[in-house]
Amino acid sequence: MEKYEQIDISGDVGLRVRGHSVTELFVNAAEGMGELITDTSLIDVKEEKEVALTSDGTEGLLIQWLNELIFLFDTHGFIGKIFRVDITGGQGSGGKGQGDRGRDEVKLTAKISGGLFDQGVNESRLLLKAATYHDLSIRQVGSYWEAEVIFDI
Amino acid sequence: MTIEGLHRIDRDRLEVPKGYKSGMRTNGIIYVDEALEKELEKDAIDQVANVATLPGIVGSSLAMPDIHTGYGFSIGGVAAFDLKEGIISPGGVGYDINCGVRLLRTTLVREEVLPKIKELIEGFYRDIPTGVGSKGKLRLDSAEHRKVLLRGARWVVEQGFGEKEDLDHTESHGCIEGADPELISEKAYERGKAQLGTLGSGNHFTEVQYVDEVYDEKIANSLGLFRNQITVMIHTGSRGFGHQVCTDFIEVMQKAVQKYGIELPDRELACTPFNSPEARDYLAAMRAAANFAWANRQLIMHWVKESFMNIFRTGPKALGMGLIYDVAHNIAKIEDHTVGGREVKLVVHRKGATRAFPPGHPELPDVYKHVGQPVIIPGDMGRASFVLIGTERGMKESFGSTCHGAGRLMSRHQAIKRAKGRSIWREMQDLGITVRATGRGTLAEEMPEAYKDVANVVDVVHSAGLSKKVAKLRPLGVIKG
Repeated sequence: MEKYEQIDISGDVGLRVRGHSVTELFVNAAEGMGELITDTSLIDVKEEKEVALTSDGTEGLLIQWLNELIFLFDTHGFIGKIFRVDITGGQGSGGKGQGDRGRDEVKLTAKISGGLFDQGVNESRLLLKAATYHDLSIRQVGSYWEAEVIFDI
Repeated sequence: MTIEGLHRIDRDRLEVPKGYKSGMRTNGIIYVDEALEKELEKDAIDQVANVATLPGIVGSSLAMPDIHTGYGFSIGGVAAFDLKEGIISPGGVGYDINCGVRLLRTTLVREEVLPKIKELIEGFYRDIPTGVGSKGKLRLDSAEHRKVLLRGARWVVEQGFGEKEDLDHTESHGCIEGADPELISEKAYERGKAQLGTLGSGNHFTEVQYVDEVYDEKIANSLGLFRNQITVMIHTGSRGFGHQVCTDFIEVMQKAVQKYGIELPDRELACTPFNSPEARDYLAAMRAAANFAWANRQLIMHWVKESFMNIFRTGPKALGMGLIYDVAHNIAKIEDHTVGGREVKLVVHRKGATRAFPPGHPELPDVYKHVGQPVIIPGDMGRASFVLIGTERGMKESFGSTCHGAGRLMSRHQAIKRAKGRSIWREMQDLGITVRATGRGTLAEEMPEAYKDVANVVDVVHSAGLSKKVAKLRPLGVIKG
């Protein structure tokens, strides 16, 4: 199972992400998105950020999570490398259900270890404006979860 | 042969009939000739049809010839909604609120600038923060940030970066009324704090050009344009500030859709009735972001002038530097239009479309009242850009709107694949164009063939009468993010 791959879309960029659980899916999405911005292997882990989010569905929570990481990068230059994510409620706890038009409240808390991007040192890849709801999907495929997210660049 | 399900109205227009998708309240009209029709994406056609399902839409769901697939609304989309029955949608504006273009003139000619073009482009690159993770030279404190949101380019001019005339030469005078800084999230403030006066990345650029062709001498003369003249074009928007405002309000709209029971064919079309508190809040926040963008372009223009001053060792007045016009191409505005013989106020969404008001329109500054509104259309970095002028026909047919650029043809991957083994920098150099870019992949992704030929796009809006060609500009040097 590949953790993530890029989706080809005219003008923008997408990620197809896989994980054995919804939590792993969120971690892999964060890692994949970091790689769209820069080569994260060159970022030194120096600080930790905490994030707490609530949404009325797993899809919305994924968008909020990725937009939170875009905010941390665009505001502070922070790139996460190690993501400790905890999801409660909705599919995150039970792994039931398809898609998620169901409106159960889902909560995410995360501790993110990472470091600061330096334009003079680190490679500039893409400037992500936002993770979007466009063609967004989260579904169970056999033994793993798969999500597709498109970013506005 | 016309795409199945569509109907060709005339040489420049394709109709997406009301029955193309269920729930359409009106038809769609896509401005493409047969050549551009071949490049139409199925998803983009569906998006034109989806917009036609939204409540309170007035007239047709329109798309300009630079149409391509966007989020919810297609890029190149124009849609007007009734203020009582209609909606407002952040998806109809885009994440980069008031992304737009401004064009400066000089009295320099090509031969004077060519020997110094490399120096000039290096100067831009040094003076204008560009690319992923770049920070502006200004750090706004909270009080200043609020002033930027309320006063836009006006605030920048008050700080000594520019002339009063610049404001007359900017859409909405560089400041749209009705912005409310109280409706901006802490996150948007944080994200915008260090980004005023930054270019960004992707397709944003600052470019030195020369006037290659003049199509209408009289109008060109009124705009201060002449053959061989040097111009500078700046393409950027509201940066992370605007992106955060859009991100925040997409979440608000997801809830509004449920609250007001709006049926949507696509979640990214999330919207709210125009007569709702959510709409009032979005409109006031979007206006704040629009003002941030006008301030941003005004500030970047100041640094462009400084680069010219440093290299030509004289002042901007001696170089004849002045703003021709600044246009927004991602915005929603309340405007007066005539529909079925009646004067009505509508909320017009332009997403990747440019306002193009005709001569005599009350919103135009005195200097352009007799010719109409200048329209600035950026092309790709290797071919050309255009100056057009608004027309009466555009006012009637497309709510005073026209195209906004070339429109993308290739995906990033296709472009990178196509550029493999080639030096795009060298190819540009061979064409006589000096390029400086921050991002490793930017040049490949932004190479000319990744875009439609802007000349074909502009020919359609000219032929359809939505706006009129005035001049063609060719690039000499460009910085990109």
